[in-house]
Amino acid sequence: MVKISVLQHAPSTHLPARPGDPTPTSRNLDPLMHPFARARERTRALNAVKMERIFAKPFIAALEGHVDAVETMARKPGTLNVVASGSWDGGMIGKISGVCFADEDRLLTCGVDRNVKLWDTREVDENGAGPSDVRKPLNVFPGKSAFNSIDHHRTDPIFATASNIVQIWDETKSAPISNLSFPTSIETISAIKFNLSESSVLASIGSDRTFTLYDIRTGKAERRIVMQMRSNALSWSPTFPTTILLASEDHNLYTFDIRSLKTPSQIYKAHVAAVMSCDWSPTGHQFVSGGWDRTVRIWQEGRGTAPEVYHTKRMQRVTSTLFTSDAKYVLSGSDDGNIRIWKARAHEKLGILDSRERAAIEYRESLKQKWKTDAQVNKISRTRHIPKPVHKAGQLKRTMLEAQRVKEERRRKHTRAGESKPTAEKRKVVIAEQS
Amino acid sequence: MARAQKPKQSRRPQAKSLKQNNLRGFAKRQSLKSQRSSKYSESSDVYEYQPENVRRSKVKLQLEKDELDGARRDISGSEDEDDGPKRNGLRPRLVGENDDEGGLGSDEDEEIDSDEAFDESDEERFAGFNFSTKTKSVAKRKPQKRSLQSRTVPLIDLNEDEVELEEAPSENASASEGEDSAADDEEEGDPEDFIDVLDMIDGKGPAESADEGEHTQKEERPSASKARVEGDDVPHLEDEDEDMHDEEDEGISSDESEEDESHISPMDDAISASGDEDDDVGTSLHDLQSFITNLDAGQKRKAPDDEAAPTTETGEARRQKRRMLKERTEAGEENEFAPHRGATKLNLDDLLNPLASSSSNLLSLKKSAKILTSISAKNQTLSAPLPQRTQERLDREAAYQQTKEEVDKWSATMKKIKEAEHLSFPLQAQPAGRTSNLELAAKFKPTTELESAVDRLLKSAKMREEDIAQTESLKMNHLSVEEVSARRAELAKMRELMFRAEAKAKRVAKIKSKTYRRIKKKEKAKIAAKLGEGSDDEDMNEETRMKHEVERARERATLKHKNTGKWAKAMRARGDLDEDQRRDISEMLSRGEKLRRRIQGIGSGDESEEGEDDTEDDEEGAADRIKASAFEELAQLDKGSEGEEDSGRKGKSIFEMKFMKDAIARDQQRAKQMADDFVREMGESNHEDDEDDELTGGRIEESSGATIERVGGRVTYRPGAQLRTVNSLASDTSSITLRSNDLPSDVARSVTPSATSPIPEKLGIATEAPNPWLAPRQDPAKAVPKKHEIAVSKDSASVEKSKNKLRKKAQKHEEEQSKARNDAAVDISMSNVMTLGDNSSAGPSKPKTRSQSGNQRDDGDDDSDVHSEVEEQERLLDRKGKGKANGVKAFEQRDLVARAFAGDNVVRDFAEAKRREMQEDAPKEVDTTLPGWGSWGGTGTRKAQPKPHLIKKVAGVDPTTRADYKKAHVIISEKRDKKAAKYMVKDLPYPYTSKAQFERSMDIPIGTEWNTRVGFQRGTLPKIVTKPGTVINPLEKLL
Repeated sequence: MVKISVLQHAPSTHLPARPGDPTPTSRNLDPLMHPFARARERTRALNAVKMERIFAKPFIAALEGHVDAVETMARKPGTLNVVASGSWDGGMIGKISGVCFADEDRLLTCGVDRNVKLWDTREVDENGAGPSDVRKPLNVFPGKSAFNSIDHHRTDPIFATASNIVQIWDETKSAPISNLSFPTSIETISAIKFNLSESSVLASIGSDRTFTLYDIRTGKAERRIVMQMRSNALSWSPTFPTTILLASEDHNLYTFDIRSLKTPSQIYKAHVAAVMSCDWSPTGHQFVSGGWDRTVRIWQEGRGTAPEVYHTKRMQRVTSTLFTSDAKYVLSGSDDGNIRIWKARAHEKLGILDSRERAAIEYRESLKQKWKTDAQVNKISRTRHIPKPVHKAGQLKRTMLEAQRVKEERRRKHTRAGESKPTAEKRKVVIAEQS
Repeated sequence: MARAQKPKQSRRPQAKSLKQNNLRGFAKRQSLKSQRSSKYSESSDVYEYQPENVRRSKVKLQLEKDELDGARRDISGSEDEDDGPKRNGLRPRLVGENDDEGGLGSDEDEEIDSDEAFDESDEERFAGFNFSTKTKSVAKRKPQKRSLQSRTVPLIDLNEDEVELEEAPSENASASEGEDSAADDEEEGDPEDFIDVLDMIDGKGPAESADEGEHTQKEERPSASKARVEGDDVPHLEDEDEDMHDEEDEGISSDESEEDESHISPMDDAISASGDEDDDVGTSLHDLQSFITNLDAGQKRKAPDDEAAPTTETGEARRQKRRMLKERTEAGEENEFAPHRGATKLNLDDLLNPLASSSSNLLSLKKSAKILTSISAKNQTLSAPLPQRTQERLDREAAYQQTKEEVDKWSATMKKIKEAEHLSFPLQAQPAGRTSNLELAAKFKPTTELESAVDRLLKSAKMREEDIAQTESLKMNHLSVEEVSARRAELAKMRELMFRAEAKAKRVAKIKSKTYRRIKKKEKAKIAAKLGEGSDDEDMNEETRMKHEVERARERATLKHKNTGKWAKAMRARGDLDEDQRRDISEMLSRGEKLRRRIQGIGSGDESEEGEDDTEDDEEGAADRIKASAFEELAQLDKGSEGEEDSGRKGKSIFEMKFMKDAIARDQQRAKQMADDFVREMGESNHEDDEDDELTGGRIEESSGATIERVGGRVTYRPGAQLRTVNSLASDTSSITLRSNDLPSDVARSVTPSATSPIPEKLGIATEAPNPWLAPRQDPAKAVPKKHEIAVSKDSASVEKSKNKLRKKAQKHEEEQSKARNDAAVDISMSNVMTLGDNSSAGPSKPKTRSQSGNQRDDGDDDSDVHSEVEEQERLLDRKGKGKANGVKAFEQRDLVARAFAGDNVVRDFAEAKRREMQEDAPKEVDTTLPGWGSWGGTGTRKAQPKPHLIKKVAGVDPTTRADYKKAHVIISEKRDKKAAKYMVKDLPYPYTSKAQFERSMDIPIGTEWNTRVGFQRGTLPKIVTKPGTVINPLEKLL
């Protein structure tokens, strides 16, 4: 009988193990076999960064409806597609200065009419009023002076308002349950926010260039710092409970660690006018800010420069900004009465991605990250076309700051040696820390 | 007792005042005494003969205590830093007080004894007043008093001694010294006391009490007695007040009232006291009477001192105070020599006394204050409250610290998040738990029709879970405990078994192995067959038979058993078959075989199975068997034919006819031939039959139908259609000898790698790298035998091989030795070579280079490589020349080299190139003046100096700043390489701390081409991943 020996054929070596898997490939991974790996990857990185700029189309939609500046916005807890906004056009009563959700269905608003109102936001409320009907508030909490801001406790049925003092209210009581104020302060509190994780901690900013920390457990204003310029907005970080972000009038944003308020933990410089609003991304690694310079900027936490800039021709001064709770979109409400929806990452592809595409995107991202030190790559990724006024303002600001710096240096040079030392930027921010 | 006490005390100040030889007081006293004696004979008796007094002796112990306390109170109440005079100064006041309070002295000290219990104190007081036994017991109960008593005993003695006035000061001094420390403490304590009480009144007691407690703890250490003293003092203060207002005032009033009223007030006092008391109700009236009379006596005696006699009680109280003041003034008069007297501290009581009876509120307030003070073991002032703003600031500070601490609990979490390589949001997502069957069953509600129907059925049958449970419980009701437990155990076991079975089933269901499944299927089929046989054997009904028939028909129709079908033909036509097809073919063949066997009737089921197995197991054996059977058949055929022949001879038939015979013979012949052919074809390797041996002429080298040739060490397989007999010469050993002529040297090397592998040579002397150009050819004579020796038969014994190896080793060693010898010889022959080189016209550069290289050798190896090349070669040459290399040969070689590299002045060229390079890069000035422009032409014109603005300065690289400055053997270009510049960075990027680190990170590519799949995925994983449409909630405290 003839014995037949055949060549070994093992399909598993060159066929996918499961249907849908990519075909296994065998490559020589010896780096010596790939002398041009670096060059190739650099080219790819360059292409990736170019593609990023090509596909950077952040604007999604504009929501019209308000006829005046959108002063405040609040996202509904537990949902992505509902946001409440308050505007200067609050009807007869004047502007709505604060909006926040009490829970999934109920909304709290406050305004210059000295009332806090509780609303039902369901499609059809208790009284049977549909979406088109004029609704009546569920409850009205009368105050003594105009309210500037409102925020609800994360879990308890408690909310805090800011007028000339900070007041803590119970939802079931018509009078405030406690008043908090720093003694000897006669300022107007412009904004107030509860800490998200450590929910009894409360922070406010005032017209006296102050930032004040409260705790509703001790029922005291615990600490106050006075800064160079007043802050316009504040926001607590959702993942770093000790971190608070202040949007300052001096074109900068500051993050503070509430455990040491002497100096800010980071200064964020890019706006060319006062920063009017800020909001953290739910991831706590990004935040958005809107400024008087008609731009929206998206910052990386810990990186004090070169944020992403969004602007449109018709967008006026941005008075309120908000991150959606999936960290994918950004909302900005501006002076022109529109709320605009932007992508949080300008070049991100929306929709479903298959695994290969995702892998390719991730590869591109990591290439960009790796090659960001490359001059060419960096230049492409950094360059933004911004409106001329903004650009000019930036130039002017730079010139002024430079002049200031030079002057200071000269002054120091001509004083006795060692008499004055240059102060770090961080040390200049806080004038006084009061306890 | 009161009576006894009073005179003594009244006397005491006088004695003190008389200490300094002042007899005025004594005279006064004498006069008083005389007055008294004139009024009441008894009183004088009492005064003079105290020790003899029965009643006094009876009360003695108590009295001592009282006195002591009185003394202590003095000390505490007054600030006496000095010993004698001060005390003297104090005495009067004490006298004055005690005069009034007569019987109250004891009361006070009793209360001091027991701060907490009012009743007790009252009791004691009365005990003190009336019943000595009781007081004794009390004294026993409070042993802590003892030390104090013992300490103050001398004082008491002193007081009692009227006569020994001279001794008094010294003793008093000693006593006061003994108490000095205590007094000092009190001084410290006293002011605090006052404020303390005030604070208490303000309601700030509790805050301070803790502080006080600490203080007391501290202070108790140094001297227990001291603490006790202080402790005594605390209640003392209030006691004084209280007593004044509560009860004593009455007594006092009675004291101060005139004789007619005197009887009533003490009575009241006594009654009230008795009312307070429980046990002492049944005391003898006599005692009471005597007590009253005593009091009376005291009053009577004091009465003359008083001037006014107010009627109302308040008025009395006031008057008492007034009198006190008066007394004090008197004392002051006496104490001209005690200047410190006026510095006595104002007591709270002093202030409050006037208000004593006026307001009940004050009383209650005081009571509460007393309780508070009694709680604090030591008297200590609370510090004054801070200003409100300061206080609030401190509060805020504390609150901030608290908040900080609270918030700081997040730090670990935050650190973790900060340092995480990868974060997938939401961070605190609830892990989707797997639902168990039970859970599902519990949640299940019939929704569809079918489900509800089933549910209804179950319900009606009472088979639902809850029903079962209910029935179980019902059953349980009638069972005994043992039975219940047994039942339980059984159920538990069942449950356990079920669970196990379930688990096993799950495990088995997961097995993916095909073979396992096949085996399982077979097993199942077997079992099914067994069951089927058991039932179907007897009555194989029509249906099954029909089924079998149909199956058979189908089988036939499919032609699966024949290889004549279309498919089979196609398969045969097709050359290369894949696995499945091959399997199909083999199946077909086996099926056909099986059927054939069946037709032949050989194959019962078992045999066929066996046959199958055999074929599967060893095809070889099967082939043998088939062959054997074929041969047997043939043999039988032969025999048969012979037999037939025999039989044919006997019988007479048509076959015996000649033509028939011939025909048969022819047939047989043909058949035999065929059989022979067949046998020959099959080969007789298996059968050593003689007949077959004869048939085969020579050995046939043909086993597998393929010829193997081996030419030049390479084995080739060829399809062996043709038979080829191999020479017997070659075949007397089964091995094949490799001829050296046939083999190239590399094969030989591969056979014995150690023999001529170039590696050891290289390693041995690196400089001896053979230059084919320079190296003289070795003797072929030497090489050839070496090659011959390599020839080793493939199958030769290992001994032989090892021998060969050894030989080779030895040879190599020899070679090396010879080389070494040659090396040694080089030095000797060097001069020879040199001279030869000089003699010859080797070229102009040669000697120079040699000398240079020599120098460089000395310098070091690093820059010798370029220059010393020639030298090296020469040296090599020398070595290669070896021992036998005589001058002539070396010369020839050198000559050859010289000729080959004639005019190849490498070093000079290099230096020239470097100079040029440096010149090019050097900074220079270029005159850009265009001739004829901006200057005069014509003859006689002088050439103008170049204009400075037309001189262009090119900033190059200064030769001294070059990287290759003073490095003769290298040129480092200072030109910027544009292509390389792309990959350069100005500074070290931020997160990196060293250049190497950065280099390393950039070195590793991240694409799929250079990484494994997993490596790629890991390398490109983004730091933060969010899923679209997922709400990310802020961090929450997970408790």
